[in-house]
Amino acid sequence: MQREDIHLISRHSNLTEQAVEKALIKYVYNKKEKWQKFLLLLFISFGVGFMVSGIVFFFAYNWVNLHKFVKIGLVEGVLIATTILVLLPKLSISIRKIILTGASFLVGVLFAVFGQIYQTGANAYDFFLGWTVFVTLWVLISNFTPLWLLYLVLINTTFILYAQQVAKDWTAVFVCTFLFIINTSFLISAISFGKKQIPNWFLNIVSLASTSYATIGVVIGIFDNYQTAFLILILLTAIVFTLGIWHGIKTKSGFYLSVIPFSFIIIVSALLIQISDGGMMFLLVSLFIIASVTLTIKNLIDTQKKWANEK
Amino acid sequence: MKNKYNIQELLDYLQNSEDKDLNFDEEAIFANYQKDDGNQSLAIKILSVFGGILASFAFLGFLFIAGLYNSDIGLVAFGGIFIAVSIWVNKEYDKIIVETVSVSFFIIGFILLGFGCDQLKMNENFISIIFIIVAVGSLSIVQNYILSFVSILIINGSILTLIISNKGYDLTHLYVSSIALTMNYVFLKEAKIITTNNTLSKLYNPVKTGLIFSFLSGLVILGKKGILPVSLDYIWLSSIIIIYLIVYLISNLFNILSISETRHKIGIYIFTILTLLPTALSPAISGAILLILLSFLVNYKTGLVLGIASFIYFISQYYYDLNFTLLTKSILLFSTGVLFIALYLFTNKKLTANEKV
Repeated sequence: MQREDIHLISRHSNLTEQAVEKALIKYVYNKKEKWQKFLLLLFISFGVGFMVSGIVFFFAYNWVNLHKFVKIGLVEGVLIATTILVLLPKLSISIRKIILTGASFLVGVLFAVFGQIYQTGANAYDFFLGWTVFVTLWVLISNFTPLWLLYLVLINTTFILYAQQVAKDWTAVFVCTFLFIINTSFLISAISFGKKQIPNWFLNIVSLASTSYATIGVVIGIFDNYQTAFLILILLTAIVFTLGIWHGIKTKSGFYLSVIPFSFIIIVSALLIQISDGGMMFLLVSLFIIASVTLTIKNLIDTQKKWANEK
Repeated sequence: MKNKYNIQELLDYLQNSEDKDLNFDEEAIFANYQKDDGNQSLAIKILSVFGGILASFAFLGFLFIAGLYNSDIGLVAFGGIFIAVSIWVNKEYDKIIVETVSVSFFIIGFILLGFGCDQLKMNENFISIIFIIVAVGSLSIVQNYILSFVSILIINGSILTLIISNKGYDLTHLYVSSIALTMNYVFLKEAKIITTNNTLSKLYNPVKTGLIFSFLSGLVILGKKGILPVSLDYIWLSSIIIIYLIVYLISNLFNILSISETRHKIGIYIFTILTLLPTALSPAISGAILLILLSFLVNYKTGLVLGIASFIYFISQYYYDLNFTLLTKSILLFSTGVLFIALYLFTNKKLTANEKV
């Protein structure tokens, strides 16, 4: 029983406040065990999070009196200490994963301190590249979702910085196409090899990222001069969107069935505005968005109804 | 969405759990489950809100290019008509399908109304008050989820505009504190509110979500330096209310966690206040903690996610703005971290000790 059910039933019955309260406590609200787990998780995440940011700030302070050997030695010392903690079998597995995530951030600190000493700059792409490469093993071994997310963010950042700092002649469409390919491959492998154990929020974030890259890339491509990358992007987007819809129907996930059509609506609107940017066109686009979103929602509701009856 | 079999099972359970005889309007309940908005998913809500906003932007583009924004009375009249149509459509066809249409019309209506009033040289106070009246009026007529949510945002946005245009910046504290109190009441008195009457019951969810967003926007103003010249002299005002609410919430938690010894309770109170005290200068942080705890208490996932995201944001903002050297900040952060790890070890030990007994 869910919150909505209780609300609906209370609206059409003479249930008393006490009865509703009881039903809410029994079915909806979190109980003692959940609270204990939640608080423990909250404490350890706060603990590790604050400590690591304390360390980050310490090195950002750039203490001039501290010799460079001491600086790097300090970070490496802390890094080794945390990694040893992870190896202790006494700690529970999820705690060890949280600590390893903290250690992965420390790897970033190490590279930042290195960059500080040798003046490579804090946003140089090689800094992120080094960070990405050296946490790879940990990401694979721990298989911890938040760490995977960090890894993906690092890969994306490295690539974007590389495009900005080194490969300046790459077009925006090409960069979007590449990012789209990276994130989509990640998503597809996560879905196919994840054995359904990967939490939905992670898959949703990755698919949101990859849909956004596709949408932005195609919209820029529509208004930009013709280029080969655009053709590839359109082709790939068409294939991936079809696959996504198919996957959404197969796994009964309303997420894909709303994100992909919405992206498609934006693309078509951009196309319409490219054809003409007169006042009437904007009115038409406005009407088109209302109509197409309504259609998407109707379709979604019908499908969800069908799924509910199939159960 | 549920099928017929599930619903019957549910009603049977409720009937059995209560001593006295219950009256269910089973027909109405089944009809509601059959209807579209039995259980709207979050995806649909977000889709209609974003669709509505996007459509309104396109319409705004049309308005500017066509040069229609010059006729003042016309704009006000059209604004009124758009809002009225949106409410009427919602009332008449109580279906999810018309959602995007009515949201778009609603937002466009307010935009037109705002432009029109501005052309008529009305001052901001007057416009804000008109907005509040129209939004409250719409809340009393239709209690549809998205429309009510948007109305709540409009009401709170107008109050903020009133505060800003009259330069009463310190009133932000009053605003944030009163939203915190209302939010707390709404979260904790769910059963009471939804059994009072059907209008309140329908308004419950959208108002709850709307309050969260309004609360967070108030916190952003307090939490990010330089958005508004809120003076530091009264900043403790919001903090006191929020910290009080957190402590009150913790006293509720004692029941759930079955902590009964007075010694432990006092210890936890002292610890909570001591940890929250350093954040007294940033009510945004304690506000985010309040939201996290409230949302977890009533198992409201959207609120929890928003709370955690805003907590991370406000913490980083706080340390970014703080007038200490990085070294002091580093020590502050590090010791907070050590404190929480100690807390973790302590709680963990207590819990495992309890399990063994």
